[in-house]
Amino acid sequence: MSVMRALPIKNPIVCRQDISFSHPSEHEFACILDFYGIEWRYEPTTFPLEWDKDGNVVEAFSPDFYLVQQDLYVELTTLRQKLMRFKHRKIRRLKELYPDVNVKLWNRKDYERFLERFGMEGRREELVGQEALRNHDA
Amino acid sequence: MPEAERDITQDVETVLFSEETLLRRIAELGAAISRDYADKDPLLIGVLSGVVVFMADLVRSITVPVTLDFMAISQYTSDSPSGTVRITKDLDHSITGRHVLFVEDVIDTGLTLNYLLRTLRTREPASIQVCVLFDRPYRRLIDVPLAYQGFELPDTFVVGYGLDAGGHYRNLPFVGVLKPDVRR
Repeated sequence: MSVMRALPIKNPIVCRQDISFSHPSEHEFACILDFYGIEWRYEPTTFPLEWDKDGNVVEAFSPDFYLVQQDLYVELTTLRQKLMRFKHRKIRRLKELYPDVNVKLWNRKDYERFLERFGMEGRREELVGQEALRNHDA
Repeated sequence: MPEAERDITQDVETVLFSEETLLRRIAELGAAISRDYADKDPLLIGVLSGVVVFMADLVRSITVPVTLDFMAISQYTSDSPSGTVRITKDLDHSITGRHVLFVEDVIDTGLTLNYLLRTLRTREPASIQVCVLFDRPYRRLIDVPLAYQGFELPDTFVVGYGLDAGGHYRNLPFVGVLKPDVRR
């Protein structure tokens, strides 16, 4: 693989009110960042991870959030823990290809602790996991 | 058993930091602060309410002149009316030109501390440093330089010495893990 290929793709900036979060946990996370005055972007960058022999991107990763002042990407995963191995592999690959990129992966436990921190443990069903997604889509 | 007779220490499964361990480390922090802030007349600032237990012991272990002040801020809730932090009790003292030592019981994501430091810096103190008793670094989003720190907490839910569960257990003189049935 050519190093030249490992270039992040900047996605178009979407206005706050037009963002379609893929999970309620992400929406709540965004609200908390807003509350504390943290500048953020939603999926602003796609990192190609694998290419076919013709140079087409066959695997890529777009972390959920980018905290601008902190230069930090955050990926939230509150769904099945089986996904975590998959996400860990992607992040490992991302760090190999883009060593200067700071990225954190929050799993379900991290997010639940985050809710506890704000006294919102009672909202787990509404914000965490597949159940939250079903409620959100209903 | 009537609530008034209930001994909250019985709700604790494991003690992580005993009172003796906490006070020994706080005495070390107080000695370091006394050395670093000699002749600076620092203003120690804490955010209500969790910090009061730590602040009370810390300030009594400092041997140089200091003044104290407290502030309070709104907590995030999903229906927070303004959508941003509100200062519900501001400082009684001006901090302009003062050497400020910001005292916190615990740092987790760094969101709250970062917000408060940004706010205080706009008031142009001569300097501002942070003293934290408990560091929980596992979900840090905002790196905040810590001039003084006491202990790293394990990645588990703990109470005592200012740390609460639903507002309770702050008055435990040690830090511990609640029994599972109590947490539920």
